[in-house]
Amino acid sequence: MEEKVIYAMYDDDDVLLNGAKALVAEGVHISDVYSPMPIHGIDPVIGVEPTRLGIAAFLYGLTGTMLAAIGLRYFMIIDWPMNIGGKPSFSLLENIPSFVPIFFEFTVLCAAHGMAITYLLRNKTLPGMPPRNPDPRTTDDKFVIEINASENSKHSLNEITAMLKKTGVVEMEEKVIK
Amino acid sequence: MDYQISNKAKKVTLGLSAIGLVMVVLGFFHQKDYVYADYVNEHALTIRYNGDASDEMQNDLKIEMNSILNAKGYKVDFHDANHNDSHNAHDDKHLHDSHDESHSSHGFEWEAHIESNHEDEHVNHGHHEDVSASIVEMIDSGEISFFDTHHRRFWSNLLVNGFFFFGIALGALFYLALHYATESGWGVVLLRIMEGIMSAMPVGIVVLLIVFIAGSLGLHHIYPWMDSDVMDPNSSHFDKLIYGKKAYLNQPFFYLRVVAYFATFFLFMKWFKKKSTQEDSEGGTESHFKMYRRGALFLVFFAVFSSTMAWDFLMSIDTHWFSTLYGWYVFSGIWLSGMVMVMMITLYLRKGGYLPFVKESHIHDVGKWMFALSFLWSYLWFSQFMLIWYSNIPEEVQYYFSRINDYKFIFFGTFVINFVFPMVFLMSRDTKRSAGYLIVIGLIIFIGHWLDVFNLVMPGTLFDQWNFGLLEIGMFIMFLGIFVYTVLKALGKSPLLQKNHPFLEESKHHEF
Repeated sequence: MEEKVIYAMYDDDDVLLNGAKALVAEGVHISDVYSPMPIHGIDPVIGVEPTRLGIAAFLYGLTGTMLAAIGLRYFMIIDWPMNIGGKPSFSLLENIPSFVPIFFEFTVLCAAHGMAITYLLRNKTLPGMPPRNPDPRTTDDKFVIEINASENSKHSLNEITAMLKKTGVVEMEEKVIK
Repeated sequence: MDYQISNKAKKVTLGLSAIGLVMVVLGFFHQKDYVYADYVNEHALTIRYNGDASDEMQNDLKIEMNSILNAKGYKVDFHDANHNDSHNAHDDKHLHDSHDESHSSHGFEWEAHIESNHEDEHVNHGHHEDVSASIVEMIDSGEISFFDTHHRRFWSNLLVNGFFFFGIALGALFYLALHYATESGWGVVLLRIMEGIMSAMPVGIVVLLIVFIAGSLGLHHIYPWMDSDVMDPNSSHFDKLIYGKKAYLNQPFFYLRVVAYFATFFLFMKWFKKKSTQEDSEGGTESHFKMYRRGALFLVFFAVFSSTMAWDFLMSIDTHWFSTLYGWYVFSGIWLSGMVMVMMITLYLRKGGYLPFVKESHIHDVGKWMFALSFLWSYLWFSQFMLIWYSNIPEEVQYYFSRINDYKFIFFGTFVINFVFPMVFLMSRDTKRSAGYLIVIGLIIFIGHWLDVFNLVMPGTLFDQWNFGLLEIGMFIMFLGIFVYTVLKALGKSPLLQKNHPFLEESKHHEF
């Protein structure tokens, strides 16, 4: 399916934010914004839902805690109980204070790795994946708004281009993506 | 838009402290000095006491037990177990002397024999009740006990509350200094509230000074090292371990430190308040940069004093015990209680419409501090506990023995309240923005940290003879009332917004 896309480039994040606000007020749907750094307050403007990464991180952390508990119970209690410093080695509960640091570390390990991998997967930016940003300069000092024609039936592309011109773009490009 | 303490707030806070005062007065006369009893058999028990009770008090106790038993149709005889012993060892003059000395300290060990008043009662043994066991139970529960002439509960509670509320004011001062030293922008709109809270510092200072001076005068024995007998190698109460700490724990040096802490904190507090008012009237950035430098300087003082203060005021109660982590642990509690107080006062004033410039984002940030500091506290709590539990060195582990044996519920309860509660209820973004939630969780954490200070003090002063009643609750609400009243009163003295703070605009537009 062919898709007409407009890329509007800005050289300042505040200008982009104000431009995006103006466009959205006119009823234009912005499909994405490419930026070298997070732009504060852009998410609600272009209709990005609050991230659920926090929930995912919590679940990864919980998984880590449980894995650590199951693992330690097997290693240190069932399979090969070890007497370290005369501490109880007969049940997980009696010995739990000495396992807490491991629970904690493993929780952090799982939460952090799970979160990072999920983030990269979700954004399709795993190492080696083809880049999705329209212009390499968006990883440096430029900011780009992406508008899909198919998502904006209310306005023609010309109308949108005219609107964009008023918002202080530095470059504009129309592409057809197959 | 200047805030003045409302009549209602005045009535509530002062009323609270009046109720508290009444409870304290009532509770004052119910302080118990426990005796200990061992069950021997149905007709005999031994009663031990190693404190300080006059002969008159001992007689009263005997009469009391006799009258209880008389009502049940029994009578009781007391024999001095120690006295018999010393008769047996009559030929050993030295032993005899040492016994005499123990007698002069008014401790005793009695063997009590219970007999029935009516001979014919032996006949209907059917519903015979074990009176010896019931007496033991009454002694264990404290129903039969001496009045505590040393008022240990009163003084310990005074220390708990004095320190807790001093800590809140200090926590606010610390955060204010931190805010200046780090040149933070977001919290400028809250700085006046912190100033208000730290203005109540004299409440804690006065109470703590009373406790220390009373200790020096021998009115209580919260600090064992203050007792000259303990430090005297010729005394029977001589304690070698405490004597070894004499270079640090002696009264002149202690008071030197106390004066240094209080003077430093108090003068910095006054200075910060003066400068911020000056900034209001003069404008410019001169005051700000002075406060920036003084803020950093304060942190240097605070870094040392917060630790040594915790050792002096609290750790030296358990004089034999030591923990290098203690200072941080106490400090994390201080900081957190300060933050909770900032949150409460902010929510209260915001509800009254005095803080139109405080946005949800500010509340959210203070909520984050509450959340994060709860974790800091828990981390230190656990680190201290685990290392001592694991190494199991007798002189260290003793501290936790007394807490786990006699204060189990409070000891583990504080950990649950101060760790699990904030973790579960403050983790989500929405709860940190909802005033209702924050008030409930904040109050629970607040009381949790009061219990934490309770748990730091009581096991070293009352041991297993602690109680939780009118005196504890009354003293807490009395201090709470006075403290909040002082804070609200202080808040009325200057505008609630530092209008010339260089970062004011940033703070007003703080949003995320």
